[in-house]
Amino acid sequence: MPKSDLADEMKAEVQQAGPVDLLLGISGPVNVTDLRQQAPSLLESAGIAGAVIAYPDGGGREALNSDSDASAAGFIPYSLTGSDPATLPWVISSVAQKAICSLAVDLSAKVCVVLHGDLKMLSVERLQTLTQAIHEKQCDLILPIYQSRKFDGLLNHSILAPLARALYGQRVRYPLAQDFGCSARMFQKLSEFTGGRERSDGSLLWPATQAAMASYQVCQAIVDVHHQAQTEGLELSTILTSLVGSAFAEMETYAPYWQRVRNSQPTATYGKALQQTSDGDPVDAKPLVESFVLGSRNLQEIWSLVLPPVTLLELKKLSRCTPESFRMPDELWVRIIYDFALAYRLRTINRGHLMGALTPLYLGWVASYVQEVAARSPLAAEQRFEQLARAYEEGKPYLVSRWRWPDRFNP
Amino acid sequence: MWQQIEESLRESMGRVFTKIATLLPGILAFVLVLIIFLLIAWLAAMLVRWVLMAVKFDERTSSGTSTLTEWTPLHTPTILVTRIVFWSFVTIGVLVGVSTFEAASAESGISAYVFAYVPRVIGAAILLFFGTVIGRFLSRSVLISAVNLNLHYARLLATGVRWLVFVLTAAMVLDHLAIGGGIVDLAFGILFGGIVLALALAVGLGSRDLVSRSLEREAHRPVEAPVEEKLHHF
Repeated sequence: MPKSDLADEMKAEVQQAGPVDLLLGISGPVNVTDLRQQAPSLLESAGIAGAVIAYPDGGGREALNSDSDASAAGFIPYSLTGSDPATLPWVISSVAQKAICSLAVDLSAKVCVVLHGDLKMLSVERLQTLTQAIHEKQCDLILPIYQSRKFDGLLNHSILAPLARALYGQRVRYPLAQDFGCSARMFQKLSEFTGGRERSDGSLLWPATQAAMASYQVCQAIVDVHHQAQTEGLELSTILTSLVGSAFAEMETYAPYWQRVRNSQPTATYGKALQQTSDGDPVDAKPLVESFVLGSRNLQEIWSLVLPPVTLLELKKLSRCTPESFRMPDELWVRIIYDFALAYRLRTINRGHLMGALTPLYLGWVASYVQEVAARSPLAAEQRFEQLARAYEEGKPYLVSRWRWPDRFNP
Repeated sequence: MWQQIEESLRESMGRVFTKIATLLPGILAFVLVLIIFLLIAWLAAMLVRWVLMAVKFDERTSSGTSTLTEWTPLHTPTILVTRIVFWSFVTIGVLVGVSTFEAASAESGISAYVFAYVPRVIGAAILLFFGTVIGRFLSRSVLISAVNLNLHYARLLATGVRWLVFVLTAAMVLDHLAIGGGIVDLAFGILFGGIVLALALAVGLGSRDLVSRSLEREAHRPVEAPVEEKLHHF
């Protein structure tokens, strides 16, 4: 069983205070003062007793229940091993999530809730939504559906979510959520996650995939929260390499499972649908199209190692379109992603180069999407994502065929 | 007079035939040894290939984070190892062949010269291999990075980097083989110095106006939010 770095002394102290009903873990840098002020009263208001709060700490032990005996919660600092500041934020977050799950196993907690370090999810209503779904609806994993505008979370909507849905058969909107709640057997499973191979760094924890693999019940909760993007100063190709690369690595590890999955199943969703108040600022697609065209002019040689001739031909045609008429069909985009996933598995070219070569194609898809939904309502944009997700599912036989027989002639 | 010429020609012809006859056993021994070693090389390569496939060498080597396939993606590790084994035996065959040639013929000193040169050839071959692989890898890295930075001269940059590495490798290989002596060093220095000077002059003199116009334009450009900021990828 995986062990957290919790000292035996502290573990005994926590268990002496009573059974741990809830472990509330903060998966990123947090203002400890705010946390210590807000959390106990919130937990008390939410009617949650026997809660322990774990937060990342650079070192030094915080006194347990130091505030007052009346406090509903104890605080445990945990160390984030290997959390180099240069590491990507979602990688640190993933390490923290796994550490929190290990901590929950150590403390024999009944429920574990993991929250983002910005504490936006820390409210009575949201905590109740997450915990009640596990207690009352028998959910093993509850993931949030965040409030997003038309041009938010594009990488998630264009690749991560539809790919996870097509592969593992669960319609989850944010498979790489920053917040989630999980049952005892789920956090046990997550704490054991190693990914099936040596993953020294850069590995991400995909809770929804783990739940799908174990046939656990996954639910979603609509929340009016929007975490700030943590991508400032990062190049798009770096983000793609980390996130999409991790999704492709998961594909490689769980290939025997996802090849058997046929269709996706709807996921139980709780909470009221949110009214979109803002469309987001209008975006000029011209620079995006120019990036795509530049890629098309220069990266043909690399793309031809990854993509079949028919896709290359369609991309060539696209590069001749005017920016206004630039539209990338869903089928084409899906085939591109599947072919890149295959190339990632086969190591056709260096994996860093592969993800770099995907970047102009992704910008091409973004340009096409931006122009398509520019005049549409946020609801229509949501439907557009649903349409894309269905295209991923319809294109899955192509992926399975290519995956099983990569050397077969593919025009 | 005519008789003396005829006699002298006959003597020289005799010497030539004697020389050929002296060399023939050596050549025959060389060819025979080479054929034997080719056979051994083929058998060893087959054996190595069979063993590597049995232990699933390709799968094992591709599971690491930094692997051989990252550098030479077109060849599987099994093929690479098999080829290395094959050519090692062939090289050994050539060396043994040279020794037998020397032993079977009256010529002396050939094998000593060849053996002394072999480490240089091996070193040069390694340099050439790594130079080519690194050149290709760097060129591709530069091309992709430049495209993602929206540089319109991405291909030019990548080609420049590739040829820079190739020229550097060629100079190192020739120097290692002791071919050309100081001429290679001199030519390389002149070539590189020339390129740098040409670039400096081109930017400093030829493109002076262009650069100043470009800087002025950048200085007076109104601050405008880039497209990326309005989009949130993650």
